[in-house]
Amino acid sequence: MAFSRRPELEMVMLALHDLQRLFKDGLLADDEETILAHVAGDGLDPQARLAIYRHHVLTTLTTTLESAFPVVCQLVNKRFFAYSADAFIRQHPPAGPCLVEYGALFPEFLEGFPPCQGHPYLPDVARLEWAVHQAAQAAQVAEVRPLDRARFDAIPLDDLPGLRFSMEPTLSYVSSPWPVDKIWRTHQDGAEPPELLDLSAGGTCLEVRALGDGVSVRVLDPAAYALRHALAVGVTIEKAAGEALAADPSYDLIAAIQQLLQDQLFTDFTPSI
Amino acid sequence: MSANYGPGSRPDARAGIGLRAPHVGELLATRPAVPWFEVHPENYMMGGATLASLETARRDYPVSFHGVGLSLGSAGKIDRRHLERLKTLADRIEPCLVSEHLSWSTSGGAYLNHLLPLPYTDETLAVVASHIHEVQESLGQSILIENPSSYLRFRQSTIPEPEFLAELARRTGCGLLCDVNNIYVTAWNLGLDAIAYLGALPTATVGEMHLAGHARNDADGQTILIDDHGSRVAPPVWTLYHEALLRFGPVPTLIEWDTDIPELPILLAEARTADGFLEAARARDGHARAA
Repeated sequence: MAFSRRPELEMVMLALHDLQRLFKDGLLADDEETILAHVAGDGLDPQARLAIYRHHVLTTLTTTLESAFPVVCQLVNKRFFAYSADAFIRQHPPAGPCLVEYGALFPEFLEGFPPCQGHPYLPDVARLEWAVHQAAQAAQVAEVRPLDRARFDAIPLDDLPGLRFSMEPTLSYVSSPWPVDKIWRTHQDGAEPPELLDLSAGGTCLEVRALGDGVSVRVLDPAAYALRHALAVGVTIEKAAGEALAADPSYDLIAAIQQLLQDQLFTDFTPSI
Repeated sequence: MSANYGPGSRPDARAGIGLRAPHVGELLATRPAVPWFEVHPENYMMGGATLASLETARRDYPVSFHGVGLSLGSAGKIDRRHLERLKTLADRIEPCLVSEHLSWSTSGGAYLNHLLPLPYTDETLAVVASHIHEVQESLGQSILIENPSSYLRFRQSTIPEPEFLAELARRTGCGLLCDVNNIYVTAWNLGLDAIAYLGALPTATVGEMHLAGHARNDADGQTILIDDHGSRVAPPVWTLYHEALLRFGPVPTLIEWDTDIPELPILLAEARTADGFLEAARARDGHARAA
């Protein structure tokens, strides 16, 4: 066997913690000189040996990102996507082993990634894709029950303004100055071939959630978006209503709350503290 | 849930297959005679429809957990959140076997999705043994540890890998998952003797075996074998499997096929081939007992 009972003579023994830190730097930061000194050649350049590990880590994570962001990948082409993914992975490697959870920071990364500056809508398309990806992965119903209508009806009217709601957990809100919903829809399987999209067609406000076996992406008017988005981040009804009315002073709040109940978006509520 | 294959029980010494997304619908519709399935628990921790399909499969088949995320070899602490998620899933599915790898993936809060190599030293032995203790305590069952496929060796290693595994089993009471393809790949890549490797593993501790295909890549003009689980089991790996069965007797064996996943009948045929080897091993065992 190629193992020797004693470490090779001129070797400095690294503590496990240091060896792993240096190995990680060697993989992600191409800062490999130090760790390579601790790798046996055994007939092959240690650099080539380390490269096998790096290649696996980068390519499998790139595939993970491609499956979470398929439309971004189509918009920029596969090669450019891999180039962006490579830079992202090195800066933001996964924090844990459940890789379906990997990629939350990718939209923000794209926003600050200079080579993407020619595609200003790209980060918002990525935000929409992440919302869809999360909803598709999230627990579908079973444990989540919508708020019982009778419990809501029993709330004294005076208490209503101070309430905060827990919302359906697969829910996300995405707004953009770009028509990202149209961009996204024309790149779905089975969609009409992408026509020329008018990027100046204006922005959009979207609600994304798991629904049945799939994911619903729904366009909201700005006031409904303001109300629902505010409730989802946990402010009181009173404050959320203020945001909705700021978007549209003639907004019918009573009808809007009825619609929220009908859409089964509330799961629970807590009184104001 | 089937009571026959509760936590820690051993499935029959027959060839199981991995439960992979492209096959789930067909498997649940046709219910072929597969003795057991193996899954990566990490793929089911988000709940949802994928977990529901696993629960459906579990009603009719024993299921084994083959974890890739615990990073038993990391110098730092075990990720308690991940261990708790594993425990929750294990309570729900009641796997017949739980296995993990002799490797590391996490350093400084970053998870590098690969089974990375360890220096085989006394320090590493103490770290891995303590992590195995922690996991076994938390799950309430002993686990199997798999030998990794390696592409490099650290110069500071002082303990041969099979002896390292044997010592882990002795210290923690864990079993071993002998991945025959990994032994072949590692032996090729690092210039070791695969038969001597098998001979150094303690026979009574081997509770499961793995078989898979590997790829041949060129690295600087040298052939390096890559453990990609993307093809049929290679002929020399079948030969090594035969040697392993001679040594360990019939042991539950998994066909791993995770990339370029074939049509289900091809995977089932590969499992039948392994079953042929296991059948012969049982016959040998029977003869040995009768003699």
